[in-house]
Amino acid sequence: MGAPGIHQLAADWMSAKWLLWISLYAGLGIVLPWCMTRAWANQHKSDLRPRVRQVFQYGELGLVGLMMAISVIWDLQKSGYTSYTIALGSVFLAMSGIMAGAVWVEAYCRRNTGIRFTSHRAWRDSRNLALLVFSLALVTEILLDRFSKVTGL
Amino acid sequence: MSAAAPALAKEPRRTVAMRLADPAAMLAYVSLAFGLLLVLFPLGFPHIIIRNWQNARLTPIMILFTVSLNLGLYLTITYQRSARPGIIASACLGSVPVFVLAALNLVLQATITHTFSGNIPNAPARVDEEILAQTYFAIVAAIFAPFLLIRLGQQFHKSNQ
Repeated sequence: MGAPGIHQLAADWMSAKWLLWISLYAGLGIVLPWCMTRAWANQHKSDLRPRVRQVFQYGELGLVGLMMAISVIWDLQKSGYTSYTIALGSVFLAMSGIMAGAVWVEAYCRRNTGIRFTSHRAWRDSRNLALLVFSLALVTEILLDRFSKVTGL
Repeated sequence: MSAAAPALAKEPRRTVAMRLADPAAMLAYVSLAFGLLLVLFPLGFPHIIIRNWQNARLTPIMILFTVSLNLGLYLTITYQRSARPGIIASACLGSVPVFVLAALNLVLQATITHTFSGNIPNAPARVDEEILAQTYFAIVAAIFAPFLLIRLGQQFHKSNQ
């Protein structure tokens, strides 16, 4: 009775690996830079206590979104889906990733040319578009997980 | 008395300017809801989608859902920014999802034909998963594409001016 239980547990854990995958991105892409900023401030006895919003105020979250989109496109390309589905998914992920990355590009250009720049807008745009890429990536990974089970049957 | 008249005169409301971040948040919530339904009801939710697709009800339902969602979001943003809705943008929001979903339905037909024509093992289960994946991507496209077109149109209009 013990062995099947362990197998069952392992199977359940493997089916939730997309959760680990997505937490890696959220952890390494968002929480880690914020923690490092605090650690740096602590090390240098500084009063700097930035919030996540301040760390990513120039739209850097858009770049995190773009990275995430690239890695999901890579996973999609390796999957057993038909070429139509792979093409559709890749195009939508690439589009949303590029739009997210473009927020940082726009913020950079505005700051360097002196054209009106508001960090509030850059933060809001990058946050919303990164959330979109994050949700697209999450659901695509769930779909890939389901599909790998079907092809493995 | 006459000096106050221009001050009291209402300024004509400008047409609302959309940013891609506006629909992005809503689309993210729709996407997360889809993912949550897949995780919570791994058999029931896909079964509903596939049954509706087999009965040819899926595309009309998706058209109704995406068009009403897009128009609702557009009007909410218009109201929040105290602006007026544009006619071309409204027409775009009403028509683009229909074209996108009709085109993607043809792609789905081609996918199913391709899967069944090849000698692939477990083809019916694969087809079910393909329908599920393409339904999801179609919803994403039908919500995002009209706003992308509106945004590009605004940029084009601005650069022409």
